[in-house]
Amino acid sequence: MSKFMVLVKQLYKQKVSAKSFILTTLLYLVVLAGIMYWSEIRDLIFSGDADTIAVVNETNFDVSEVLQNTDDYEYEYVTAGEVAEKLKDGDYYAAFTLTDADGKLAAKIESYDPLPLNDQQSFQGMLSQAGQIYAMSQLDLSPEQQQLLLSSEPIITLNSINEAAADGKSADEKMAGVWISYAIGIIIYIFVATYLSIITTDVASEKGSRALEMLLVSVKPEIHFRSKIVGVFLVALTQFIILFGGLLLLLRFSDGGNKWSIVTNLLDSMSIGYFLYVMGFLFLTIFMYLIIGALFGSLVSKVEEAGQVMMPAMMLTLVGFYVMLTGMGNPDTMLIKVFSYIPFTSGMVMPMRLGATDISAIEPIISFGLLLGTVLALYFLSLSFYKRSVLTYSSGGIIEKMKTVFKVTT
Amino acid sequence: MVLQLKDVTKRYRDFVAVDRLNFTIEKGEIFGLIGQNGAGKTTTFRMILDLQDTTEGLITWDGQPIKSVDRDILGYLPEERGIFPQMKVEEQLYFFGELHGMDKAVIKKDIDFWIQRFDLEEKRNVKAETLSKGNKQKVQLIASFIHKPKFLILDEPFSGLDPVNMELLKDAILYLRDQGMTILFSSHQMDNVEELCDHLCLLKRGESLFSGSLLDLKKQYGKTKLTVRTDKSFEELSKFPGVVHVKMERDSQAVLTLEDESYAPAIFDLLSNGGYMEKFSLDYLSLHEIFKEKVGAGLV
Repeated sequence: MSKFMVLVKQLYKQKVSAKSFILTTLLYLVVLAGIMYWSEIRDLIFSGDADTIAVVNETNFDVSEVLQNTDDYEYEYVTAGEVAEKLKDGDYYAAFTLTDADGKLAAKIESYDPLPLNDQQSFQGMLSQAGQIYAMSQLDLSPEQQQLLLSSEPIITLNSINEAAADGKSADEKMAGVWISYAIGIIIYIFVATYLSIITTDVASEKGSRALEMLLVSVKPEIHFRSKIVGVFLVALTQFIILFGGLLLLLRFSDGGNKWSIVTNLLDSMSIGYFLYVMGFLFLTIFMYLIIGALFGSLVSKVEEAGQVMMPAMMLTLVGFYVMLTGMGNPDTMLIKVFSYIPFTSGMVMPMRLGATDISAIEPIISFGLLLGTVLALYFLSLSFYKRSVLTYSSGGIIEKMKTVFKVTT
Repeated sequence: MVLQLKDVTKRYRDFVAVDRLNFTIEKGEIFGLIGQNGAGKTTTFRMILDLQDTTEGLITWDGQPIKSVDRDILGYLPEERGIFPQMKVEEQLYFFGELHGMDKAVIKKDIDFWIQRFDLEEKRNVKAETLSKGNKQKVQLIASFIHKPKFLILDEPFSGLDPVNMELLKDAILYLRDQGMTILFSSHQMDNVEELCDHLCLLKRGESLFSGSLLDLKKQYGKTKLTVRTDKSFEELSKFPGVVHVKMERDSQAVLTLEDESYAPAIFDLLSNGGYMEKFSLDYLSLHEIFKEKVGAGLV
């Protein structure tokens, strides 16, 4: 076995069998399972806990078709007299008093304690729907006419007259792109943050404990540098495969396969090219931050300083993540466009533009090329610097440490 | 000769860490590199190990530039102990062996041998971070030579060890020498250097003050250390011919430093006056004394 393989094997074995790796992976799986089985968990925990809503209907309109019992709310049609007392006693969670106000439905919502936001929003949604139907009922429309009004949605066709532009995506496709890109952004952020920290701490710990000096007698610094990046990347890949596999199984078997069909529909709306780009951006971004992490780890003199030196890289990933979040609302802004070309953030931002906007084919190619070029340039620059920094011990901030390395090695 | 340093210099801009250093080490000998902190010992080791480039000069192993030599012939124990804290003792030794291209089955026998010799049997499957300082040092020493290097460098191998562990380590170093290993080591404890080394190099601020055999170094000063047990006072001893310094010790013992060993017979006659004398011993200066004299000269 080559020295490179011995180092990679040792690092991989050590990290994958570490309690922190096993516990983190299990925790992620539990969180994923919790999300997938949330409705079942909620039913289990909160079953029979539907809140009772008193409805005092002072109109001649039958609201029971709109205000139907659900798992969360049960409606009880009552007269006004008993409501206040029962609200106070907690028999009713809230009370709606429906009256007519010049042909419009007026609703008063009462509760003993102030209502939480999600209940306020739910009640407002249901009551505005009831108000629409109430208004229609005043117009003496036939049931067919009412149905037509309720289901009327404009038929919209998008057509770009610029022949050079890419075929436009539908709103559904763009929304799917936004959500998939959001998921990818979170994956990149979590993986980069986790593994940047792991590689920086690992190199710093070996350097601080002087074990590195013993290793470098046998292996050249470039082999050590490569082995760290490849070893940690393989650990990240292992965790990715476990989580991705777990997610697929959960999607397949939870909710009677309903979620699986939603996901397959979602994926059907995206192209293979999109997924290849996303995987490319994902892995190159992780590689880039691993290179930076190994380099920064080689600058410190003891492991306690690792947090300090990796802060700039962590800030870069945070910037990318927040820019990606702003794209959730509007992925077509100038901010998103600019950051989709910056190699340190493009991994999180460009997949969003790819999935959720109509961009020409050349733009992701340029962004990907810039990222690839940066990874290669960073690799060779870091390698040359790593050879100098890995056995240089100094104090101070990151710039000061770099200056010391140049001072004592040139 | 197997290792040769020829005019080796290491310069960091204006600071000269090692200045035109020359010495040679023969195959199968133990060579000591001694000097104060910051004298350039670790820098010299790193240049020999090709962990740092030389600014000038040449280092050769068996006539070949050290850079072109197979790295697996080298073993190194750094001054500040370096082992993987999370790794178990045995796992750690296998790892270092495999890293030097050795087969697991081959290393096993050696690991068993050294673990037993260093009384680490109970610690075999214990994480390194839980070991005492002495045991960590033993594990690291084994890790540095488990691949049976031809040339072993030990940077301060005895620092912080209790006398029992120090003896164990000394025995191990002599055993390795007897197996044909060439060993270069540094130490602040001169009695250890004196006990183990055939040849040595004395460094002061990057410059070599002496390089050669221990006996040659001692001969430079001659037999000028005279230890006597007498009832004579400090004043009386100071007036003896050729005496340049007197140090009174316990039990009526005094150590006289002579200008020259030729004064010894006259002093013997004066002290014994033809009668019995309990102690009269003329010796070379110890390495500790020579070190203080040579390296400490000019220092406050």
